[in-house]
Amino acid sequence: MNGLKRVVITGSGIYSALGFTPGELFDNLAAGRSAIVRGGEEEDFLPTAPASRDPERFRVLPRTLRRAMAPSACFTAMAGLAAMRDSGLSQDELLALNAGCAVGSTMGSVSTLREGYSLVLSGQSDRLSPMHFFKCASHTTAFNLARTLGLNGAIYSPCSACASGLQSMGLGAALISAGQETVMFCGGADETGSEVSGSFALMYAHAPAEGDLAESSRPFSAHRKGLVCGEGAAVFCLEEYDHAVRRGAKIYGEIVGYSSNSGGNGLSQSDAPAIARCMADTCTSAGIAPADIDYISAHATSTLQGDAAEAAAIREVFGSGVPVSSLKGHLGHTLGASGPLEMAAVFEMARHGILIPTRNLDEIDPACAGIDHVTELREKRIRIFFKNSFAFGGINASLICKLNV
Amino acid sequence: MNLTRDEIIEAVNGALVNEMELDPADLAPDKTFFEDLGLDSLDMVDLMIGLQRKFGISLRENEEIKQVRTLGDVYDFFEKNQAMLTAQAEAAKAAAQAAQSQPPKE
Repeated sequence: MNGLKRVVITGSGIYSALGFTPGELFDNLAAGRSAIVRGGEEEDFLPTAPASRDPERFRVLPRTLRRAMAPSACFTAMAGLAAMRDSGLSQDELLALNAGCAVGSTMGSVSTLREGYSLVLSGQSDRLSPMHFFKCASHTTAFNLARTLGLNGAIYSPCSACASGLQSMGLGAALISAGQETVMFCGGADETGSEVSGSFALMYAHAPAEGDLAESSRPFSAHRKGLVCGEGAAVFCLEEYDHAVRRGAKIYGEIVGYSSNSGGNGLSQSDAPAIARCMADTCTSAGIAPADIDYISAHATSTLQGDAAEAAAIREVFGSGVPVSSLKGHLGHTLGASGPLEMAAVFEMARHGILIPTRNLDEIDPACAGIDHVTELREKRIRIFFKNSFAFGGINASLICKLNV
Repeated sequence: MNLTRDEIIEAVNGALVNEMELDPADLAPDKTFFEDLGLDSLDMVDLMIGLQRKFGISLRENEEIKQVRTLGDVYDFFEKNQAMLTAQAEAAKAAAQAAQSQPPKE
């Protein structure tokens, strides 16, 4: 990270369609389960990968907190509470440290935006709740996490669509590395809705609702027809290394490299040279040779152009020697949550010594060939892993995490 | 809106139980919203929006409702003002319909 301080991960929490703990998520992934079902009217009947929005689940959050939360913030708060518990840090300790957070999402809360527009456009704006803004503000996931954990430090919310989560991790790591923060809760969250999935569908980048929907998201496959939107959240406790060691914290791993860039002219098209540069820069920032990476958790969303561009970039930087898989065949594309959520799965893979394959990758697209695709459960010791997230607007972000520090 | 006091109490308490998740046992007329029931000004706006919808009236510009302190104040307010509030809502509706039926101005 080229900073003054080392940055480690000392707590982890998730809220996903395939599990509410990283262990449960891993079990479902290892069993090859898919979260994808047919969406309702709100998803234009497209395939979707919903997480539970059962209000009973969220009742552990006091009403005074919950009243300002849409599903995206509830997912975040649930994941954040789990991460805080897992970190072993008490609320008093967090207050004394002025702990902060960085959490982003694609657009706050699409379900709340829709409710608001419906009222305003039908001449009923006097029925808008004063909570409306707090539920759909672009930084709703971040400040609601801070309120839930009682954080009194800095609140950041990088909103960069599908890179929001990984950019939040990178931001938190950079602030700790620079000596500005000691503890930051970082992650991403999102909720599905046709405002997002419909946008992909308009660009012919969303998988259609046809055939076995569990096979509709097929990263790197010759038969892929687009992505499937999912939802959920993941939050990690990032902590300055010496502080974590002094208090005897359990350490998941160290964030040793992070980089983010753009192609300079990106809208929806991925830019393989820019992705390759981002990945190479991340290795440089970590002082780690590409060949030393044990596993790449790809962004690969199952779009025609995006998967091919990422595969080309991996081929250029890593060659064919590093195992690669995408979890979006199982989870769909959880958008702003995807980077941290998939990282949580990788920590479990490392714990079990097993790589999860890309689901539905029966026939590798020749445009995605030339890299080491994981197509079935594979035993592998992960000491260092690489995570990619990319987003509309030409945004690329990559992170390297070293385990057993 | 043409309700008995019991019906008003049922509607208001229903909103407090369902929307604010309060215990029905706590809902006595002398309870203050802020100190006793633990609500705040944003909750009060939400509560009034729910009651507007329920009663088909508008409270947005009403100064008296902003002064309520206890649950009993709210029951009294609706009992005393329901005829006026209903007339206001009907007048507003008629005005909106009249405006809609006007040809657009050049």
